[in-house]
Amino acid sequence: MGKGICMPFLQAYDLEAREGMTVLDALHVIKDEHDGTLAFRMSCRSAICGSCAVNINGFPKLACKTQIVPEYKKTNAIVVEPLSNHRVIKDLIVDFNPFWDKINKIEPWLNREAAISGQPSAFSKKDILRINNSGKCILCGCCNAVCNALEADRDFIGPAALAKAWRFTGDVREVGKKKRLELLSKEHGIWDCVRCVHCTQYCPKDVAPLQAIERLRANAMKEDILDNHGAKHVESMVDSVKRTGRLDEAAMTFKTLGFLRSLGMIPFGIKLEMHGKMPFPLIFPAIEGMDEVKKIYEEAEKKKSGVRRQKSEDTG
Amino acid sequence: MSKTLKYAYYPGCASQAITKEANSTTRKIAEILGIELHDMPKANCCGAGLLTDYDYGLYIALNARIFAQAENMGMDIMTICSTCLMVMSTANRDLRNNPELFKKTNEILAAAGIRYNGTVKIKQLLWVLVEDYGLENLKKKVKTPLKNLYAAPFYGCHSLRPSDALGFEDPERPWSLEAVIASLGAEPVEYGGKTKCCGFQVDLVREDVAVEMTGKRLLDAKMQGGACMVTPCPFCHINLDNYQGMAEKKNNQKINMPVFHLSQLVGLALGMTAEELELSRHLVSAMDVLREANLIV
Repeated sequence: MGKGICMPFLQAYDLEAREGMTVLDALHVIKDEHDGTLAFRMSCRSAICGSCAVNINGFPKLACKTQIVPEYKKTNAIVVEPLSNHRVIKDLIVDFNPFWDKINKIEPWLNREAAISGQPSAFSKKDILRINNSGKCILCGCCNAVCNALEADRDFIGPAALAKAWRFTGDVREVGKKKRLELLSKEHGIWDCVRCVHCTQYCPKDVAPLQAIERLRANAMKEDILDNHGAKHVESMVDSVKRTGRLDEAAMTFKTLGFLRSLGMIPFGIKLEMHGKMPFPLIFPAIEGMDEVKKIYEEAEKKKSGVRRQKSEDTG
Repeated sequence: MSKTLKYAYYPGCASQAITKEANSTTRKIAEILGIELHDMPKANCCGAGLLTDYDYGLYIALNARIFAQAENMGMDIMTICSTCLMVMSTANRDLRNNPELFKKTNEILAAAGIRYNGTVKIKQLLWVLVEDYGLENLKKKVKTPLKNLYAAPFYGCHSLRPSDALGFEDPERPWSLEAVIASLGAEPVEYGGKTKCCGFQVDLVREDVAVEMTGKRLLDAKMQGGACMVTPCPFCHINLDNYQGMAEKKNNQKINMPVFHLSQLVGLALGMTAEELELSRHLVSAMDVLREANLIV
């Protein structure tokens, strides 16, 4: 072990907690009265700056927004740890460089027509609502800290950068939309999200990164960026439900992977069949009332631009 | 119980094909427990999240079509798939919270002669056992207490999150699966990965990532003393069981962790045999573990 480096350990502190006291208040008490060396980041104390995100009892939260008493009542403990999925520098401070690298990768700025640059442009309420959620991000890193895909693959771009990507891709003034979506459709991009819903669950500002990812995916498909396993997987689902009303596993595998990679699945298929598990597409019966399903497909297609989402009243 | 429990039964697509043992064993335990499951032959696929990536309006309308059927049956929906639970609950939440969406969806449905009034609740078998049937009633039905069986609960993602749509238990401190395991006489095993992702959604897109996740959950449960795992979700089962061989190869070690569907673990305690539970359909055999716990001879 190198000089000055030791294994991580937990340190217990006893302090009196009063009603309304936050975890950040407690960290200050510890620093002032118990251990002046304790290192943590903080600034605004008002859930605006995003710098005090830490793991509290196993889940990422803003220390300034989390009250001690209700949290303690849940588990009879307050365990504060550095954000997971991040390298620890000291105590509760983690290395945010990989986080910023990912944000920078999506080019977090607006590309506008040269002709109108520098001029004010009309931006309707509807246009703002479309990207409003993503605009609320305070870059605290809570979503990346719980992202299950990022835990398994460090190169995944992650929910924070993808929420930011929607902020610009979904902006009606952006001229580089298609190029953005093409880049985001590559490996480690939008299709690598595992839909674990952790990002949306633990975002302290209701950014709902998963919703941003779903919008990026839907927009990429609308732009005909279909030459990847993720988009093919969705296409095969859309087709399967349209044909049979159901998810047809075998057909979906074949359509998603293509002929050659499907051949590679044959040994696995044989193993499944030995346990009676191989789902054969030919014996897949359609549900009753397929005429209704077809009508809904037609009608939804007609209304595509008219159906709005809940949170930001987005059209797509 | 004073009133017979009745549900519009939505097994989901996986449990009608690759994991059909989850469907058949659910039907069998429902019969033993006296819970009425009413089929929905017209029910379509919920979209498993993938339809959301294509067209949000279509996703909502197809889900509302499912809800309308249950509404006409005068029943709430019970599913045995966590992904169906999450996808349907999210659609139902959005319809409830957004009057404009509700109106537009019904306009789409009207073309197919359908109307949804927004009255249906979506539940999963786990919640039905805990909340509607009751753990005390379940305990009374146990014929073979699963003594000495160390069962690691695996919630996965979609039975817990997003909690504003599901609203059953705190995803940070879930308890329902442990409570059912304990009611059956088995020992619930505590381990870190029980509320994390099995990787299923990227099985076909990023198999390496999926196998990495599956391996982590299995090894985590094993490390903490789990002899078997139990999950309320067929998609989690696909990865934990069918992909276990790949996870073993990737981690270069034998894991050998049998995985039960929730309905199978309940069925075992209700006195069903290994044949009735269709355990032979699993890739990882549960026989040794059950023998060791003296649950079969």
